[in-house]
Amino acid sequence: MEELANINWALIAPLIILQFILALVVIVDISCNGATNGPKWLWIIVALFVSTIGPILYFIFGRKSQ
Amino acid sequence: MTCIQVAQLTKQFGEQKVVDHVSFTLEEHTATALIGPNGAGKTTTLSMLTGLLQPTNGQIIMPGVKDIRGAIGFLPQYPQYFSWLTAFEYLEMTANLSGMEKRKVKKEAQKILEFVGLGAAMNKKVAAFSGGMKQRLGIAQAIIHQPKLLLLDEPVSALDPVGRREIMNLLKEIQQQTTILYSTHILNDAEEMTDQVLFLRNGQLVEQGSLHQVRTKFDEPRYKIQFVSSDEARQFASQSELVAKAEQNIVYADIREEKPSMQQLLHRLASSPYHVVKVERETASLEEIFMKVAGSDGTI
Amino acid sequence: MGQFNTFLLKEWRESWRSFKFIWIPIVFILLGITDPILNYFMEDILNAVGNMPEGFATMMPELHAIDLLAASTGQFQSIGLIVLIASYTGTFSKERQNGTATLLYVRPISFTAMFLSKWIVASSVAIVSAIAGYAGSMYYTVLLYGKVDPARFMAMLGTYCIWLLFVMAVTVAMSAAFKTPIATTITIVLILIGSVVDSIIGGFWTVTPYKLSTYGLRFVDESVTMSIFWSTFILTLSLIFVFVIVGIYFSKKRASTVKV
Repeated sequence: MEELANINWALIAPLIILQFILALVVIVDISCNGATNGPKWLWIIVALFVSTIGPILYFIFGRKSQ
Repeated sequence: MTCIQVAQLTKQFGEQKVVDHVSFTLEEHTATALIGPNGAGKTTTLSMLTGLLQPTNGQIIMPGVKDIRGAIGFLPQYPQYFSWLTAFEYLEMTANLSGMEKRKVKKEAQKILEFVGLGAAMNKKVAAFSGGMKQRLGIAQAIIHQPKLLLLDEPVSALDPVGRREIMNLLKEIQQQTTILYSTHILNDAEEMTDQVLFLRNGQLVEQGSLHQVRTKFDEPRYKIQFVSSDEARQFASQSELVAKAEQNIVYADIREEKPSMQQLLHRLASSPYHVVKVERETASLEEIFMKVAGSDGTI
Repeated sequence: MGQFNTFLLKEWRESWRSFKFIWIPIVFILLGITDPILNYFMEDILNAVGNMPEGFATMMPELHAIDLLAASTGQFQSIGLIVLIASYTGTFSKERQNGTATLLYVRPISFTAMFLSKWIVASSVAIVSAIAGYAGSMYYTVLLYGKVDPARFMAMLGTYCIWLLFVMAVTVAMSAAFKTPIATTITIVLILIGSVVDSIIGGFWTVTPYKLSTYGLRFVDESVTMSIFWSTFILTLSLIFVFVIVGIYFSKKRASTVKV
């Protein structure tokens, strides 16, 4: 696993930061807009731990709004 | 002055005539109640007046108005809002779409919101509104462009008694400015604010006229005489030559062609040995008239 | 003009307040930068995961800037388009279905203004997303694989934006004509399945909107045939016009299906 330790993290940092921001937008949206399809906590977990696809799934299927 | 004239209005979905040759005229600055059981065609009639639905047949004429949609304000039974707009943004948008002069919009929106009691919630998003607040906003968006005709579909039936009272008072105030046509199945509301009633049943207009006219036509007035005991009531009912029936300590006596008169009745009661508590002349409530007009299948 | 501005403001607010202007561009950036980064570290990852046979690394093709831009385009063309289509396929149909359109349709509104505002805002989100996504991809590509001529990059980006205008015109028009599930299905078939079919058997013809993204990439390696590109460009613009007209027609025709 030494090779992984040598990886240039500065290159990967934006990837991780953007995914974090995306999850953050989900959490802000859930707390502002209220209604979701299905339990809120589940969507927060999905958004936080399923990278990129999790937030996409939330915005397409989880959001309940008029 | 005539506000709107509707002639032979018909809407057919397949074989079924949901609205069947309905004709009526609304005079300016009057309030008209469109009464009928669920499924009678009230919402369909209103939808055609708003232009949402194209009539299968018939005419809708507003004298001096080219595009009726610009002269109408409409509040649906369950108004749905874009919940991400604030009340003020909503009114701004609807006023602009109704073609209000640009420079007037902001001022009018604020004025109307204060009028309907949403002054404090003006900049809140509709998502946070209660049912009563949404109904107020619904009225606000329907009157912001000062329409000649205000159409309301069951304006108060979803509200609690307090909310209903408040909205009815609001509507009475609005009625001084415009013509109102509203549908309802709650007859107490209709009784409170109405110059004309239209009874719809199975898509047909079965009765129309002023409340007084309809009442005279269908009313079966009677005397309600309350005695101290039910024995007395029973005896009075069986002994007198009146068409009367006793229910516990109350006697209901029919009136036929204004006979007997109140004087005659009082005279008779005075000479009887029974102890009278109360005498009154009863007229039918709109509800009872409605049941007669609607017939046996007139479920409310 | 007044109605158009009012509708534009409404759609603009909708897309901002539902965070579409934020999350969709972020998704595109992620899609755009994943391939350059992943490929750059591929050797390291493979070495870390298991013992590669001798000489395996040299068997891996050497990647050029154009390959990475093509890979990112592939991401936009699949997941990116699905996200865009799914986000705007309800723009008319959902408003009819949940009754929010009622309070608009009872007014003397212009369906042309309404349709154009929806299409323009949806296209703005799509174009902002494409710019963000390609910028991210370009940044890592230049950093890790070599230079790309800025003018050629802009030509590719511009070409892709024309394709997105087409995609959003189809999406909004289908939403005007059908209920949400049907609109989504038809749009996915027309755009995504269409793209796949075109890439499989499209060798027999050269001028379809589906080829715009490929021609865009060809600007970068200078293999584009300008006459074919312009034919494709003009055909796509014509089709956009057709879908806009069809969409306006159906938005008016379907207005009476709104829930009252």
